[in-house]
Amino acid sequence: MALTDTRPETGTDASAVAPSVVPSPLTIFGTGDHKAVGTFYVLAALVFGIAGWVAAALSLGHEVGSNSFLSGSTAMQLGQTSNLGLILLVIVPLFLGLGTYIVPLQVGASTVAFPRAAAAAMWTWLLSSGVFIVASFIDGGFGGSREKSVSLTLMALGGLIVALLLGTVCVLTTAVTLRTPGMTLDRVPMFSFSMLVGGAIWLLTLPVLLANLLLIWVDHRYNGGTTFGAGAIQFDQVLWIAYEPQIYAFLIPGLGIVADVIATLTGARLGQRNILLLAIGAFGVLSVGAWAQPAIYPSASDDLVWQAMGLLMLLPTLLFFGGVAKAFKDGKPSLKSPLGLAVVSLLLTLLAVLAGALLAITPLELRVSGFFAAGQYVLAIAAALAAAAAGIGYWGPKMTGGHSADGLGKLNVLVLLGGGALGGLSLCVLGFSNRFTGLEGAHDSLVIVSSIGCALLALGGALALLGLLSGARKGAPEAAADAWGTGQTLEWACPSPPPTGNFGDLAIVRSPEPLLDEEV
Amino acid sequence: MTAHVLPPAPAVQRPRVLVVGAAFAAAASFTVFIGLIGIYLAARVDVVGSGTAWLPEGATIPLQQPNTMFITLIMSVFTMQWAVAAIAKNDRVNSYLAMGLTLMLGIATIVMTTYLWYLMELDIASGIQGVLIYTITGAHIVMLVLAMIFVALMGLRALGGQFTARQHDGITAAAVFWYAMVAVYALIWISIYVTK
Repeated sequence: MALTDTRPETGTDASAVAPSVVPSPLTIFGTGDHKAVGTFYVLAALVFGIAGWVAAALSLGHEVGSNSFLSGSTAMQLGQTSNLGLILLVIVPLFLGLGTYIVPLQVGASTVAFPRAAAAAMWTWLLSSGVFIVASFIDGGFGGSREKSVSLTLMALGGLIVALLLGTVCVLTTAVTLRTPGMTLDRVPMFSFSMLVGGAIWLLTLPVLLANLLLIWVDHRYNGGTTFGAGAIQFDQVLWIAYEPQIYAFLIPGLGIVADVIATLTGARLGQRNILLLAIGAFGVLSVGAWAQPAIYPSASDDLVWQAMGLLMLLPTLLFFGGVAKAFKDGKPSLKSPLGLAVVSLLLTLLAVLAGALLAITPLELRVSGFFAAGQYVLAIAAALAAAAAGIGYWGPKMTGGHSADGLGKLNVLVLLGGGALGGLSLCVLGFSNRFTGLEGAHDSLVIVSSIGCALLALGGALALLGLLSGARKGAPEAAADAWGTGQTLEWACPSPPPTGNFGDLAIVRSPEPLLDEEV
Repeated sequence: MTAHVLPPAPAVQRPRVLVVGAAFAAAASFTVFIGLIGIYLAARVDVVGSGTAWLPEGATIPLQQPNTMFITLIMSVFTMQWAVAAIAKNDRVNSYLAMGLTLMLGIATIVMTTYLWYLMELDIASGIQGVLIYTITGAHIVMLVLAMIFVALMGLRALGGQFTARQHDGITAAAVFWYAMVAVYALIWISIYVTK
């Protein structure tokens, strides 16, 4: 089967027991099974996430006092690597992994579109990520002094962006073309819809980052780094992906996860579904930030459009907040950890968007020091991590076939809430130091608090990983097809874990909650 | 004796997976160039705004070769569409011929681009202009080569009998990516070669 082939949509008897396969390097490296590919993404991204938050904590720790344990250049490279790494090695692949696993199940497909390409994308991303980390560690980060290492870093980043884009194309194509009969776009489950919106925004913005990297690399390699490749400005050219409004693009799939988790664990249909879809769509449109590159367009943040986008982002966020809050009112919330993590993600998203709105108000002068924007970045990435942790806890039984230890998840609710709030808000408070002189004296204390917050977020990643693994351990309570007993969407109609081909014959879908229709 | 004529087969309801996937890939590729050309235009406005000429002294961009390339690529759009139309009528011979011609026109464009690089006398190390122009035109050649590989691969699959009048998504998908590549060249032609 060629890379461009799609496996035929053949139905499989879901009740059939899959023959036991002895794992071999061939089955691991050669698999085109979307479940395996998605799981690899999630596991690797969580490991990178732990390392990334630790690196962020260390680079923040460097800001404290005068006797630093890191050299200035090392701390700067560590900070920049973690800044980009938390997006491209952690958040995007976490959502992409969940998307590769869950979207085909939610839309009733037997596989992801272009399964071999999806697998190739995952391995390319993993390999490039490894090269990126290694090259960054040998003084090859942005502005590093080893020229060949810097080239390697740039090429690895380029490779991993291409891989993520290829993986995104596979998931988007699945959501667009492989939906089961009756599943119109407005009936697509919220996570799949948010992957569709988020993936489309990634597809329209990450290539611009690739363009930036290409220019930096060509200049660095052939021109001696005199313009784009100059060490001091290399990172500035790619910083826009960690800055408002682009940072919101990495939160979009999280909104879908939150909506799905809340709908299932409150047992209520999402009443204002069209409003939620509209809110996710508007959130996507307002997060297109590839045009606002401070290195190319220095006055971007003084642009009225930039400021309007930052302020308007509050509208879809509040709309979404209201829509899911109604589910709490209409249903009976079940106090399971994914629900807690979804609420944490929602709160952190709201805080990040509020911070973004404040950042857009020029008279506040919050863009002067950079601390406020850094705080907003931490809030946003923590919100995305909490959403991913909610998704892992929620779909974990489907992925592993066993229920994970809910205690770990509940502990993670506190850890991620504490980590996100401490890590992000303390830097936001520090952002006001140019207006309140008393805050300058609290610089070290606030940075230490933020550093502790980042360490907690690393712990949150570890707890999410342990939670997923605990579902796969021997003796874990076996998960039914509908692991929560209140599933609404098609992924809960196939066995846990799903067999090859995922489904048998599916009935025509007649509403966004086909499993609830079946019960009637 | 009465002849029993069977009713025509119903239209196949098939997801156009490869066409949609190629369209997404084409959109992503197009966006790379939107980014590159945006940066190019911003840099040019800065340099020209400071009162100096955009191209360094001694460098020149003749228009004859870019125009020839543009005409060549426009012709390739027709040959590619010819390939799609031919396979849609099960006319395999014409489809092979059209795909072969498309590849030839692609090779001609590569040759012409390299000749233009030679004529420009623009050193990549001459500054921001060299880096931008060679990155953009070089990236376009990479996209052209990818599009040619896509067409060639689909041509080989057609030779293997995989495509029919009812199922020729592979060739349509290659055509979608090819058209995106030509659209990118149109952007380059107007922003780099014509308005300099």
